[in-house]
Amino acid sequence: MVRSCSRYSRILWLLAAAALAPQARAADRLLYLEAQALGGYSSDRDKAVFYSNDRQEVMQKPSVGFDAVQKFSGDRGDFGSLAVQGRLALNVDGPGTAEPQLYNAYFKLKTRPADLWLGHNRPALGLSAALDSHGLLLPPLPMDGFGFDRDWGLGADRDCSWGDVKGSLTSGSGMSLHFNGNWLAAGRASRGVLSQDNYSAGLSVAHGKTLDAMGYHLMRDEPMSFTMGGADITGLWNNWEGRFEVLGGQRLGEPAYALLWRAGLNLGDEGRLKLEAQPVLLRTGSDTHHKLAGAVSYLVTSDLTCRGMYQYDRATDDHRVLAQMYYYLKL
Amino acid sequence: MRICALVLAVLLGLPWQAFAAVGCDLNDPDRDVARLFPGSTGFKTSYVSIKDKGADALLSRVEARLGDTFKGLYETIDVPYTIYEVLKGKEAVGHIHGVNQKGVYGGIQVFLALDLQGTIKALYFQKLTSRYAKALRDPKFGKQFEGLSLKDFQGYDVASGKAVDSRVASIKNPAPGAEKDFRSALRGVKKNLILMDEFVFAGERPKAPPAEKAK
Repeated sequence: MVRSCSRYSRILWLLAAAALAPQARAADRLLYLEAQALGGYSSDRDKAVFYSNDRQEVMQKPSVGFDAVQKFSGDRGDFGSLAVQGRLALNVDGPGTAEPQLYNAYFKLKTRPADLWLGHNRPALGLSAALDSHGLLLPPLPMDGFGFDRDWGLGADRDCSWGDVKGSLTSGSGMSLHFNGNWLAAGRASRGVLSQDNYSAGLSVAHGKTLDAMGYHLMRDEPMSFTMGGADITGLWNNWEGRFEVLGGQRLGEPAYALLWRAGLNLGDEGRLKLEAQPVLLRTGSDTHHKLAGAVSYLVTSDLTCRGMYQYDRATDDHRVLAQMYYYLKL
Repeated sequence: MRICALVLAVLLGLPWQAFAAVGCDLNDPDRDVARLFPGSTGFKTSYVSIKDKGADALLSRVEARLGDTFKGLYETIDVPYTIYEVLKGKEAVGHIHGVNQKGVYGGIQVFLALDLQGTIKALYFQKLTSRYAKALRDPKFGKQFEGLSLKDFQGYDVASGKAVDSRVASIKNPAPGAEKDFRSALRGVKKNLILMDEFVFAGERPKAPPAEKAK
């Protein structure tokens, strides 16, 4: 693990240096500083915690990072973009360590039939293929092992007038890259363009042999069969938001199912205040449990958001309360 | 705990008043550019902010031309505006530009497709969650903006909603209950045209016109 962290640390610093390097064409690039402070209380551990999900999981922890997008263009227009997003997260519990984390790290090439990407990006499975949870406290299903928030590999996206189609072939190892015979092929098609139609409904399938990973930590070395299919729908209505996702199939060699519902209400001037509720039902093998979460977020300024979350996890009988200050500043 | 204190110190030391914001991108630029400019073959994306382009002096000029102050989450000085220069082969044929505008239910994203003279070819609402979204997105509503330019919107008062130009004055609210979002849309259009004039078209003219005030 030390070797793995060291390798990602080098990659992260190289990419950070590239992102922060003097800009030849400032107008081609966006660069943001990201910083967050996070803390809370877990009844299961009966003490203060400084992570939202698990100490070994990557999100969320106190961290400082950056988010950069560089466009590449020629005489005939844009032909590609590079996205790099990294954090240096602090593990406060136990021996304090700094953990370099790499999220987006991909090059996207525009071609006539589709956009092709290579690197570390979202695999084409479920709601998390379309929903950015990077700074949020409410956990998406990949945090419970139903797919990966990010994975190493390649993929293709095509936007159509009725929706979009995505496909990916990735390592099935999540945050870190391993070659133990692991792989994951995934595809998602959605109908409706959320920003235009105020709804989007998607169907996903995935199959492969994946590693049981939690952040940069491998729970097992051997890849396990992973087959998953699912449906998701997102809808917007006035100041209401609703998201629903169901996934079912096999993971870790056992039948597995997950149901997620996230309801949100935007309130106040400019929708600065957001209230959300999220019940989740999970089943792997014969183990069934649920999580109930409620969250509140407030946009203090356009770059500072304060969030709070309460979550009850039936599996560990844990009541958890968390507070987060999230800063996202354009440089 | 020392690490925790360090993070807090970093956060507290950041310039809290230095407002930054996320800009207004087309969600699917390939699809939208092809739809708004049939026959186009590509586009170039660039980012520009009032802060980078002219800082406080430019902000004051934009506010004077708009006839209103910039305020809230969507109108900070360093919002990175995304400008799409639309190409046919190697030749520019127009621009697409969007702005965030405060609406009844959060932000509305008001995109304009402009020809090289800054004349509106199409109005396009991207994010618009109001129950009246269907009426505001109706092609008949958008059609009323086609052929208009900043010159026509100069006499539009964003505070009162009154317009000097007869074509702007004749733009009809598509639904009685949508009055607030309708007025937000018109303010967004005028803001969009002014920003494009400052960011793109002013540089292509021999001399910028004097700042104008809404009547």
